[in-house]
Amino acid sequence: MPRWKLVDDLLLDSEALRELSEVVKLQSDWVKHRASRMFIDPFLVETKLKLMDREQLAKAFLRSWRPVISTEQLTFRRLKEAYDYWAALPPLLERKRELMTQAEVEVKHLNLEELIKMRLLSREEFERSLNEMYEELVNASRGGPINYWGFVIKDSFEESALRAYMASFLVSQGRAEIFIDPIQEEIFIKPAKAEDKKMGRSIVVAFNYSIWEKELERIKHERRRAS
Amino acid sequence: MSEEELARKLRRAAHLILFQHHRYPGAKGWELRKVVGRDYMKVIKLLREKLSDLGLDIKIVSEEGEDIASLSEMQLDKARFYVVSKHPLTFSEAALAGWRLDSLAVLAVTISFIASRHGKAPKKEVEKMLSEKFPEWKVSVELDRFIKKGYLSEDEEEVLYLGWRTKAEVDLKALLENIAGGQTS
Repeated sequence: MPRWKLVDDLLLDSEALRELSEVVKLQSDWVKHRASRMFIDPFLVETKLKLMDREQLAKAFLRSWRPVISTEQLTFRRLKEAYDYWAALPPLLERKRELMTQAEVEVKHLNLEELIKMRLLSREEFERSLNEMYEELVNASRGGPINYWGFVIKDSFEESALRAYMASFLVSQGRAEIFIDPIQEEIFIKPAKAEDKKMGRSIVVAFNYSIWEKELERIKHERRRAS
Repeated sequence: MSEEELARKLRRAAHLILFQHHRYPGAKGWELRKVVGRDYMKVIKLLREKLSDLGLDIKIVSEEGEDIASLSEMQLDKARFYVVSKHPLTFSEAALAGWRLDSLAVLAVTISFIASRHGKAPKKEVEKMLSEKFPEWKVSVELDRFIKKGYLSEDEEEVLYLGWRTKAEVDLKALLENIAGGQTS
């Protein structure tokens, strides 16, 4: 400033400053106008958001925020609904008994009598199927033992399970015998001899889906080799 | 209309707007017409004057979520009437209402970001933007909170939109102006 000697220099500089400030003002007005019309460059907003600190952002929001004032209340309708629910709710002791009964239900095995009782099976139908199976066993074994899985396993898991279930009945009725070769760990089945009939015995043979898959594969393999 | 009747209508209109009786606060125009009568807009004008003394105002938001000064009778029927704060809240007032500085900042960024992109933005982009200033866990918690409160809404494709509460409470033009113009002091 002390070096300025001429008034003209001072005037020129102030004029330049005024023009510059005018440009900045116009730029600011342009941005404001764009913002007010909601036509604003998203990248400009993004850049500004990145430059502002938390306090500046919160302040900017507070200036444009007018929160809704409302109060929650219990309406007569809701009160009536609550009363109706309460009136229809059984006493705790009753509900407790219901809950206890539900908790006591367990998974258990159904025996033949229960299946017949539930009308899922008729005694006559079951007896007929058992007789057919016994005939099949007599014909297949010709008196000698045959492989248990070869006799029971069929192409469908459901049918195989049913046949295993029925075979267990033949054994428990004493009409068939099951024995296990302890060395080969192979299970055999054969029709019971006349003198052994009515002497049922019990052997546990596990059967599930993976056993069915494994045995079916083995049987098919054996059949292929034989042919 | 007698003074007594006017006072009764004012009370009924104030209760209808202030007491939340639906999922959303406020009342629809047709509800006010049903309870207050055909001249409900005159009652609203009077109620606005009375609320003004308490620092409150009535805001009318059209069905499309726009704050329009003049609406036709049919548009008014479908519009929602809210009682809002007349003046901006200070930091301490916002804190009293349970707002933290961080939450206000997150909301400011989210709303500005979405508003600048014509009202919708992929959630991932919003999260990425917010994660530059806030921890990821906070971003996730706050966004969920704002969706629940109605400031934001989200569709099945994880795109965020401005919610009904933002349209009712936030002057988007002013917010963008404050952000873009940098008028934060």
